[in-house]
Amino acid sequence: MEVFSLLFEGIAQAAEPTTLLATLFGVIIGLLIGALPGLGPSAGVAIMLPVAISLGGVPALACLAGIYYGSMFGGAVTSILLGIPGDPPSVMTVMDGYPMAKNGEAGRALGMSVFASFIGGLIGLIGLVTLSVPIASAALAFGPTEMTALMIFALSLVSVLGGRNAIKGFVALALGFWVGMIGLDPIAGPIRFTWGSMDLFDGVDFSVVAVGLFGLTAMFLSLNETATSGLQKFKFSSLFPRIKDAVSSRFDLLQGSITGFFVGVLPGIGATAATMMAYATSKRMSKTPEKYGTGHIQGIAAPEAANNSASYASMIPLFTLGIPGSATTAVMMAGLLMLGLQPGPLLFINNGDFIWAVFGSFWIGNLMLVFLTLLLTPFLASILFIATAILYPIVFAIIAFGVFAIDYSMSGLMIALAAGVIGLVLLKLDYPPVPLVLGLILGPMLERNIRRTMIQSQGDLMVFIERPIALALFILTILVIAWPIIRNMMGKKSNALLEVSNSG
Amino acid sequence: MKRFAKSGAVLGASLLALGATTAPIFAQDYPSRDIEMIIPFGVGGGSDVLARTIASVIGEKELLPVQILPENRPGGSGAVGYGYVGQQQGNDHLIATVSVSFFTTPLLGASPVSYEDFTPLAAISYSPYVLAVPTSSPYESVDDLAEVDRLTTATVGVVSDAALLADMLTDSAGVQIDAVPFDGEGEALAAILGGHVDIVFMNPSELLAQTEAGTLRPLAVSSAERVEAFPDVPTFTELGHDIEHVQLRGLVMPGGVSEEVVDYWEGILEEVATSDEWREQYIETYYDSPAYLNSEEFAALIEQTNDRYRAIMEEQGLI
Repeated sequence: MEVFSLLFEGIAQAAEPTTLLATLFGVIIGLLIGALPGLGPSAGVAIMLPVAISLGGVPALACLAGIYYGSMFGGAVTSILLGIPGDPPSVMTVMDGYPMAKNGEAGRALGMSVFASFIGGLIGLIGLVTLSVPIASAALAFGPTEMTALMIFALSLVSVLGGRNAIKGFVALALGFWVGMIGLDPIAGPIRFTWGSMDLFDGVDFSVVAVGLFGLTAMFLSLNETATSGLQKFKFSSLFPRIKDAVSSRFDLLQGSITGFFVGVLPGIGATAATMMAYATSKRMSKTPEKYGTGHIQGIAAPEAANNSASYASMIPLFTLGIPGSATTAVMMAGLLMLGLQPGPLLFINNGDFIWAVFGSFWIGNLMLVFLTLLLTPFLASILFIATAILYPIVFAIIAFGVFAIDYSMSGLMIALAAGVIGLVLLKLDYPPVPLVLGLILGPMLERNIRRTMIQSQGDLMVFIERPIALALFILTILVIAWPIIRNMMGKKSNALLEVSNSG
Repeated sequence: MKRFAKSGAVLGASLLALGATTAPIFAQDYPSRDIEMIIPFGVGGGSDVLARTIASVIGEKELLPVQILPENRPGGSGAVGYGYVGQQQGNDHLIATVSVSFFTTPLLGASPVSYEDFTPLAAISYSPYVLAVPTSSPYESVDDLAEVDRLTTATVGVVSDAALLADMLTDSAGVQIDAVPFDGEGEALAAILGGHVDIVFMNPSELLAQTEAGTLRPLAVSSAERVEAFPDVPTFTELGHDIEHVQLRGLVMPGGVSEEVVDYWEGILEEVATSDEWREQYIETYYDSPAYLNSEEFAALIEQTNDRYRAIMEEQGLI
């Protein structure tokens, strides 16, 4: 195929020493930015933009993109070892990664995240080089009406993550919706729930809330414990990954990669929502859903494959159509302009060599990340041998720095602290924190797209049925909701059959 | 004797005048330290690129004896950064660029300062807006648009230049245009390319790649004169619509700085506006239209823009 010969030329070009060094530099910075709680890929790429641009041409973009997909690898490290999402797309990795680390299986969990990231990246890259043009055009079919339907479908999928008590799960979800409404109303313009504070005007940053809700809450909780408790004697073997896990998670890896790819390519949705859908789908399709959240290896495989796949997919609209679908790709587009390139439908025609060399660097970067993270895994996993009395103050300082570095203001830190306290209250009252973060990510997208649809249709609800993609998604939603009822009626025996037909 | 006394008085008066105008002994004294350039938005955005390009052109041409130090102070849709500048009345070593949020955030009552707390220095170029439709659209001209009852347009944010222009076109062409706000130019572009809205108003730099590829068709430009990047596209005025609105690229200082400082910066910015460096690094990269406006002209346009925003926000019931 022609694309593959173009790709091999691209890889050959990307293997030039300067591009190779720029890619390495990018992925290392990306790993660090991803691992640093608070600071995520969008802020990280923006901060590094001037440095990357000074490298010029292909190396500049190879470096910027390296930061982006590198952070997808790095985020998992903090999520697994400390239970704090290193960046928004690694929130779901906390669910099972952190319990595994606490059970003394940090190396195994890290190994899985590296492998899942690699597979997700690989599938995302294959999609990027073979499907980019048709998939970008197909993504354009998703207007506000289809996005609304997709968000409702996503919510029906993730309802499985509500925890033991359904009512408390919904309360936490509603709380997340409400937090997502803080700031300037994105459709009509008035200011909501800011209590006159300038800092709340732009809304509440998701990564800041996630850091507070997961990281700080855990630290506040540990104040009740004596400093020496909780430190276990881990086996040396727990520091190393296991090949067997990859095989047993193959369907979750594939499912996560594909979900990540298709959700990631849609402008305005992003990798975080993709990981939530991948995790929920994995749990729904599993024969042992009750194990999710307790340290189940498949609970790492699906979201980690999804976020890497999504990071490559989200670059498709940028390179093929000149549409930056996320904050991160918007910064990359600024980079393209600064390099004197014109992002748009003609980019491939006018600057094909350039794009293929950049794509080539993605393959090299993905491999670099696998080796870097696998080499680091035993060292990183041994963090857990450090007593919390020493570890937590250091982590607290790192969190403070990471949150402050997003926009150099103290307000983010205050919000993180508030989220930590709220998380503690929720935990004590047995409200699950996961629905809150789901609400905070999916709620604003749902609200915006419902209201956009209503402006377009002048309040006519029929559009949701008239448009085929939206209708199909609504039918899927009904199936997902009705599934437990159907399962009960059909009895346990035909489960396997239905599961297969439902997964397609 | 009488004559002598008179000339003495004149001399005295002129000395007095001289003393008054050069209160800080100007030529040697200003600028006495590095200039702080506040960017009220994040790194990598349009305002950031604009501000840093101006700073780098001034640096390359060595127009200032001191350095310009750009600093990002994002937050509160510009309120944090503009608040920092506007509250330091009289500080003449502090500059910022104007943007849409320079007007809209204060009008929403979300900023401690408004445009009146700033001293306009000069504008160095402007960006027109181009009205465009998808190539597959049945609309070939602005007249075609006037014949339908209702259109939708994608805007970035609730109150924006695109929403303002949609409002102006609604009044002028007698067609109802409903603005659908999106988050960012990428989403707005996806909405028009996917056919989810009928028309868009976008800057040439956002649009040119699409019109060259034949995915979008430009119908009219919002500036007084035609745009270099779209020589065949008529202005609204040519088409008989009284619509003229552009985005000015200019610099402001805190209020209460002396006229000499304004004159000094007018001189510098006029050199920037006419320089080859500015043309190469900004105008040609972002398809802006070159224009130099002195502080008075710039101030008048700032006031006009603010009035326009106020009017549309009152109309939408926001203020």
